[in-house]
Amino acid sequence: VDATEAYVSAAAAALGLHIAPGQRAGVLGYFRLAEAMAGQLQAVALTPADESGSVFEPVAPQVPEDSA
Amino acid sequence: VTTAAPFAPPTAQRVAAAVREGSASARAAVQAALDRVAATDARINAFSSVLAERALKRADAVDASPRRARMTLAGVPFAVKNLFDIAGLPTLAGSTIERDRPPAPRDALLVRRLEAEGAVLVGALHMDEYAYGFTTENTHYGPTRNPHDPQRIAGGSSGGSAAAVAAGQVPLALGSDTNGSIRVPASLCGVFGLKPTFGRLPRTGSYPFVASLDHLGPFARSVGDLALAYDAMQGPHPDDPACARRDPAPVSGELSRGADGLRIGVLGGWFRRMALPEALGAVDAVAQALGTSRLIEWPEVEAARAAAFLITCAEGAELHLDDLRRRPQDFDPMTRDRFLANALIPAAWAVRAQRVRQHFARLVARSLEGVDVLIAPATPCVAPPIGTDSLEIDGRTLPARASMGLLTQPVSCIGLPVVTVPLWGHADALPHLPVGVQLIAAPWREDRCLRVAAALQDMGLCSAPVAQVS
Repeated sequence: VDATEAYVSAAAAALGLHIAPGQRAGVLGYFRLAEAMAGQLQAVALTPADESGSVFEPVAPQVPEDSA
Repeated sequence: VTTAAPFAPPTAQRVAAAVREGSASARAAVQAALDRVAATDARINAFSSVLAERALKRADAVDASPRRARMTLAGVPFAVKNLFDIAGLPTLAGSTIERDRPPAPRDALLVRRLEAEGAVLVGALHMDEYAYGFTTENTHYGPTRNPHDPQRIAGGSSGGSAAAVAAGQVPLALGSDTNGSIRVPASLCGVFGLKPTFGRLPRTGSYPFVASLDHLGPFARSVGDLALAYDAMQGPHPDDPACARRDPAPVSGELSRGADGLRIGVLGGWFRRMALPEALGAVDAVAQALGTSRLIEWPEVEAARAAAFLITCAEGAELHLDDLRRRPQDFDPMTRDRFLANALIPAAWAVRAQRVRQHFARLVARSLEGVDVLIAPATPCVAPPIGTDSLEIDGRTLPARASMGLLTQPVSCIGLPVVTVPLWGHADALPHLPVGVQLIAAPWREDRCLRVAAALQDMGLCSAPVAQVS
């Protein structure tokens, strides 16, 4: 059992996901594909100034602005 | 001997004009669409629900409306991917799990906006389960078939939407595009598709796949119809936090300007390497028609695709985590193992993916300072046969289903607007099959993509003939 396979088993257990024996090879194959994609991302040179593409926008209450 | 004329239903523009001026009724237009669905859908399997009673009632309301002469879509039948809410129906999103949920209390916002302009919803359309696929080979409901060759895929995940338009069942359909799900089926079914800028059209009342990447948009058989529908749907809505607070920017009046004055280039590198000869032939024909040979290469495209892939993994799986725990056997086998694997990916991968996405968006923005519209293939090839598992691309054997999105995924990753236009005759052995070309512009410049699409349509280079489905 390599590190990836061990991780998949441990993460599934921690999340309460049951991976049936017949699905194990498929799940592991897709996880390894995601791992390869993550490797491509690590090869991109980013700096701390490179911010996320997911930006939160605060939600204002729906009241007239001058009500206070 | 007499030969039946090819079935050629009118465009949305023609239907609306006839209903507005009173030379045709909305009821007749809607009944014609319902008749076509009844005659053809056993072969195509585009529709998951047909709403005849509702549609005819709405059509009568349009015919009786004092606003009829001003409705831009008066009497135009349309259908929507079954991830759009329809009042009184559970929103399936291609699953059987969602059949157990309560029915939607009201229609999706874009359905309401189209109907406010006189369009009439006639039904809901099949898709890949939870929009996670590029083929609409849905195990629960059966594959949606390509109207131009029913042994082949329609593409996905909005396969029912593209197929319904290609089969002449409706002149207009709505779909969603997270990684290519409008552009891929538009390419394979030979219709026009618009994926607007991320944040342009509100997604209120639609079932999400990946909120960071989901877009909604129309399919049609003409560029004018795409623009007409798009104009009717524009405008922000506070219930979709990703929807930009931008005023509508109508495009219908811009189409006649054509490509004049626009700087046009061809995307190279990844976008040529991952395309087979028929897709490259279509791109080259468009480039030649537009008089450009300027090749532009984006950096980091493969990383951008990886970023979209991992954002999809993380968000898509989290949405279904509870069902993956409680009832994994109820997922489509085509999606289940992927969702399970995706639920396990480390947070660091997903966070890095969002940072690479922003980095790539900035790189591409710089490249778009010198060009207005970019040309790229929409799919690597024409529609493969249903059940195809692998394709040979770039000297490698790749999974066929995921590979349908190789050329769309890097573009939607950064939310650029794209019109897909259909070309024919570029696959030597399969001249009856179309392949699509993406016309890509800077954010919020849907007008530029649509102007170039209209110019190509006027030249006769791209078209969306109705499939002769018996």
